[in-house]
Amino acid sequence: MVERMDEFEKELRDHLQARPAPAGFADGVMRRIEGRKPRRSWRFLWQPAWRWAAVAALVAMTVLGGLAREHQQRVAGERAREQVLLALRITGTTLNQVQHKVNEDQSPAEHHGHTIDLRP
Amino acid sequence: MDDAAQNFRAIVERHQGRVYSIAFRIVGDAGAAEEVAQDVFLELHRSLDRLESDAHVTAWLRRVACHRATDALRRRAARGDAAAEEYQDGMGLRTPVREFMPLMNRIEQLLLTLPPAQRSVLLLRYQEDLEPEDIAIEMQMPLATVRSHLQRGVKLLREKAQRTLKEYSRG
Repeated sequence: MVERMDEFEKELRDHLQARPAPAGFADGVMRRIEGRKPRRSWRFLWQPAWRWAAVAALVAMTVLGGLAREHQQRVAGERAREQVLLALRITGTTLNQVQHKVNEDQSPAEHHGHTIDLRP
Repeated sequence: MDDAAQNFRAIVERHQGRVYSIAFRIVGDAGAAEEVAQDVFLELHRSLDRLESDAHVTAWLRRVACHRATDALRRRAARGDAAAEEYQDGMGLRTPVREFMPLMNRIEQLLLTLPPAQRSVLLLRYQEDLEPEDIAIEMQMPLATVRSHLQRGVKLLREKAQRTLKEYSRG
């Protein structure tokens, strides 16, 4: 809604037209911006493209970290499995040796027992 | 100068009169107004990515210029700046105002005797030619408050102008 102005208000409007800025105003603003440039150089990191790049890098690092941890766990698991198999092999060999020794110790008696003829 | 700097300089040149006038008519001092106006453009340079069109830039500049100029006025008053206090006494135009402001027109001098919030609203209405609804949106102020500032501000200015005219005619 456009509001009507009385004479005094029209006079106000006429007297309050924008004044020109002082001479060299724009030069002063541009000089101050130039002076601030080193501080502003990091601001590009807050631009949308850089924010997305940072998010992508974070996701990639998380995924790669997960894969590396999984790989380490698999390697450790295989190493443990090999150690268990080795232990079982050693145990098996030892048991075989013991079995063999027991068999050897029992053999003469059995052999003797079998060879004695008790028939009249 | 690169393209971005040239584009920004064009924006400064297009709006410098508007921003400087708002600052000058709120702060009441040419040097302080220039500093405030420059600060506003520096702030614009940092915020330009978020502003989508020239209309947004214009509205943003008006709002920030009013706020920064009012802040500067408060800082001057807090420092006990005699001139700033004189402008804010609200009792009428006193001799120091005339002495400090030889380049100001009578209406601008009278405007400086109003409270800062009324000054801002009156400037947006009569310098920037905005409707009260647009002022309410730009200043994020209730429409009733804008209307109240306008009514009281114009009434005060009218009374002061009549008083000044009587004093002038009495010699």
